[in-house]
Amino acid sequence: MSETKPPYLGFGLGLRPEHYDEILSGDPNVDWFEVISENYMIPGGKPLRVLDEIRERYPIVMHGVSLSIASTAPLDLDYLTELKTLADRVNPKWISDHLCWTGVHGVNLHDLLPIPYTQEALDHVVDRVSRVQDFLGRRLTLENVSSYVTFAESEMSEWEFVSELATRADCWLLFDVNNVYVSAHNHGFSTRDFLHGVPRDRIVQFHLAGHSHEGDHIVDTHDHPVCDEVWDFYRETVSHFGPVSTMIERDDNIPPLAEVIAELDIARRIAQDVAQAKQVIAAE
Amino acid sequence: MTSLKELQARFQAGIMMGNDAALDDINDSATESRETLFGVYRHAYGARLAEVLGNDYELTHTYLGDDAFADLARAYIAAHPSDKRNARWFGRYLPEFLRTTAPFSAHKEVAELATLEKALADAFDGPDATPVSIEELAAIPPEDWANLVFTAHPTAIRLRFKTNATDIWMALNDETPPPAPVQLTEPQTVLVWRQDLTSRFRVLGPEEAMMWTEATRGVRFGVLCEMVATFAGAHDAELRAATYLKTWLDTGALSCVSPDCAQSDLVMGTAH
Repeated sequence: MSETKPPYLGFGLGLRPEHYDEILSGDPNVDWFEVISENYMIPGGKPLRVLDEIRERYPIVMHGVSLSIASTAPLDLDYLTELKTLADRVNPKWISDHLCWTGVHGVNLHDLLPIPYTQEALDHVVDRVSRVQDFLGRRLTLENVSSYVTFAESEMSEWEFVSELATRADCWLLFDVNNVYVSAHNHGFSTRDFLHGVPRDRIVQFHLAGHSHEGDHIVDTHDHPVCDEVWDFYRETVSHFGPVSTMIERDDNIPPLAEVIAELDIARRIAQDVAQAKQVIAAE
Repeated sequence: MTSLKELQARFQAGIMMGNDAALDDINDSATESRETLFGVYRHAYGARLAEVLGNDYELTHTYLGDDAFADLARAYIAAHPSDKRNARWFGRYLPEFLRTTAPFSAHKEVAELATLEKALADAFDGPDATPVSIEELAAIPPEDWANLVFTAHPTAIRLRFKTNATDIWMALNDETPPPAPVQLTEPQTVLVWRQDLTSRFRVLGPEEAMMWTEATRGVRFGVLCEMVATFAGAHDAELRAATYLKTWLDTGALSCVSPDCAQSDLVMGTAH
């Protein structure tokens, strides 16, 4: 599928209804917005009206939570048709979802469920991604999820799986910095191994988010500010990949817009620091 | 090698039914048992869907209280696993579930309260249509009025309630103690629709309810005036009919007024 790499958009936020009025009445320092696709896969009313107004002013990226790309259930053509209809209306810079499955047997668990990193699963997902991309007429962007279990039958690391998938299915990747941190903690791998294990030329977006510690494991809850350890890993990530469109996800305990923008400014400063440091090194 | 299909079936059953076969597929971590780690998914499943129900039926939740609503959520999740990709539709069977499932069915007002919340939510993101304005009606020559037919806004839905669920809704919405549930002597007609971007409802009196019902079935305005006259007396019948029509136009409840409109009235509720 010939398609140039999506543009660098700068620093964005997940669009949340709690912030609609502030965004529309002000001019917040946000470069772009990511919308949860399913929230706008509805007949009409306020959400779509607001989205129409916001997309007039900001670049939009669509981010789904129920494509279920790794499910062994048949592709849901009704869902894909609705997704495509929304994309035709919104004209997003790209469409992303998660490298996971959300259910089988006609049931949706509304969770991002993990997959075994096997050749069988890889072949399956590559085929599904290709078919979805053909249907949508554009490349998909897939995000690594936070996971809490590993499978006995896995034959490769997550980053090997992700890399093979991106190359064979010819899709883009959304590198969720927090999810790498969470999964690395839960499964005892090195965030650096993951970082250096995925192909730079496939990465089109970073996600940042907060998480919660539950005993000895971490759960990806998106209800806290980004923690220091994840900021440190973000610095390392930006240093490794260079500038990539970055955004903060907040799905619960949603603070006022100014607070999330202040957090986004931390990402801006880190990216700026990294860029300046690189210039200094290059000049020496 | 375990096939992916079988693995996913076991994993899902383990989450939904508490079946432990999935544990054979996964590893202990260095610090946590596989039971604990798989428990993250088990817990998240119920918690997430209960949260969806709580958001969609906020006032029903308030009315029942946390414990009873948690019991309801558990029972509903077990009875109606989500069959749509979009969680927006997960709770769509809750009013019917409340109406037909003990012990909830013993409290008729709860099902009607949930019916009203669902109707308001459905109106909120229901289809768009441009409402007809009073000026557009005024532009129609008087000699054509008798032949006018009407189309309800596509979000409009007519409910029939046997309890004081609307009073309970209003009290809860104002964050005041709800009145005691009461069985009405006559069923109440409630019109729910979206005016611009806001979902609204209004209790219709018997005559207006009759006229709305007939109007949205395609009965022409001239006949509607005769029906109104028959319903509550010929004196002022045309004025009464015109007053109802003006209210519908003022509140954006009609999307077509002309001799050639299509009809689209929907009826739901607990007392058809």
